[in-house]
Amino acid sequence: MEVVTFAIVVIAALFAVCSGVWVATALVRAISRHQTTQNSSQSENDKNNQEQI
Amino acid sequence: MQTVLPVIVAAAYVVVLTFVALRARAARQFSEFSLARRALPLALVFGSLAATYVGPGFSIGFVGRGFKSGFLFLGIGLAYSVQNILVGLFIAPRLRALKDCHTLGDAIGQKYDRKCQIVAGIISVSVCTFFAAVMAHAGGVVINDIFGLPNWSSVIVVVGITALYTTFGGLRASVITDAFQFTTFALLLPLTLLFVLVFRFDGGAATFSEQASVATSNGFGSTSFIEIVGLVAAFLLGETLIPPYANRALASRTTRISRNGFMLAGLFSIVWFIVMIALGVAARSIVPAGTDEDHVLLKLVGSIMPASGYALLLVVLVSVVMSSLDSLLNAGAVAFAEDIVKPFAELPDEKALNVGRCATIVIAVIAMAVAPAVPSVIDGLLICYTIWASAILPALIIGLLVKRPRPLAGILSMGVGTFVAMSAIVFLFIFPSIIKAPAIIIPALGAALLAYILGHWLDKIISGV
Repeated sequence: MEVVTFAIVVIAALFAVCSGVWVATALVRAISRHQTTQNSSQSENDKNNQEQI
Repeated sequence: MQTVLPVIVAAAYVVVLTFVALRARAARQFSEFSLARRALPLALVFGSLAATYVGPGFSIGFVGRGFKSGFLFLGIGLAYSVQNILVGLFIAPRLRALKDCHTLGDAIGQKYDRKCQIVAGIISVSVCTFFAAVMAHAGGVVINDIFGLPNWSSVIVVVGITALYTTFGGLRASVITDAFQFTTFALLLPLTLLFVLVFRFDGGAATFSEQASVATSNGFGSTSFIEIVGLVAAFLLGETLIPPYANRALASRTTRISRNGFMLAGLFSIVWFIVMIALGVAARSIVPAGTDEDHVLLKLVGSIMPASGYALLLVVLVSVVMSSLDSLLNAGAVAFAEDIVKPFAELPDEKALNVGRCATIVIAVIAMAVAPAVPSVIDGLLICYTIWASAILPALIIGLLVKRPRPLAGILSMGVGTFVAMSAIVFLFIFPSIIKAPAIIIPALGAALLAYILGHWLDKIISGV
């Protein structure tokens, strides 16, 4: 019983750490994808502007 | 050294947070400010939900409760986890499926009528503002504890930085920074627990279990049955679908993501409560027995990591407070623009965005002004829970589940729920020995439910249908 309680606590801590890593990965993906979208829409705007000129 | 290191870590944290907030960029439309264009993926919905509910109560508070009452509070906290899972299964997908819905007030307006939307909007803005004041109070205490700054300037620092990125970035900035803050504390606090258990805890599994057992017995011995019932009711209903959670349900990319986000957040809360309570139990062998509950985590980290302990804790605690505060500021501002201003005035997108931004600043200023009057974090949260659960929940949940909800039932339930909750809170402050704080939610919620049934019956008689 003692070992089971201790093991549950350790597993819970590891699970929380894994959740943190998962969200961190999604965060990096979200902000880098967003940057890519911004860059591509910027270059599209530049292209449109050049065409208009 | 004791002051320099926390200052360097705090400065580094603010720089990284600013970088993350800037990458989220400023909102250009109201739909971006209020719902992040309804494009949030599962991991961000989950991370943001968890970051919002893990406030000072679910971190500092739970460590203190683990120290005093062992695993008793895990049983009580499970009511919160069950609530999240039930909301994920039955409510969040229905909310997400509503069209042109930015807030809970919108949902209530669609189900009942415009009057109900305005009343729900006023309640939402007021509750968000008071919740924000509680968070500002907690943030002020943290900064004051670590840097020794005067309380008012500590509150201004925390609320000012949070209001700045929330005003410009709206929900997207709030969610992105929440994810960053979630990552910070979801890594640091469990790793602190593992460090304590592996390197600083004498006696291993046997001593840990013994400490847990003694503390839990003490907890059951010092908590009455009615207090436990009241706490379970408060954890089960008090934070159910408060405006920031509802905004995340509405902003999810699909109904499935909305459902799964809430269910995962519910499952994560079980894990989180175990980690926090285990930190409290482990602290029993390290921290002096008479330590005040709210200072157990601070003392524990300070004593196991002397030089860097405060700095580490500062980052974690500031993350915990800011991630809840930004969500409340944004949700209150969106509710103000959508539920209180829009029903009276035609608001083009750009104006709605400006109204939302101004409302963010006004709510932040009111929260700063009210923060010093907040009695304590736990009492402040219990007041918010009582008002929210009785004023909004019966009307909202019945409205989403039944086919033809009646407007009179909605408005009576919200009015009576608010009145009884406020009266119970005033009674609590005048006669603190007669009634315990967690128990006041029960009569207030009962009155709101009765008022709903009465309103439904009266409406049926009046309309004849």
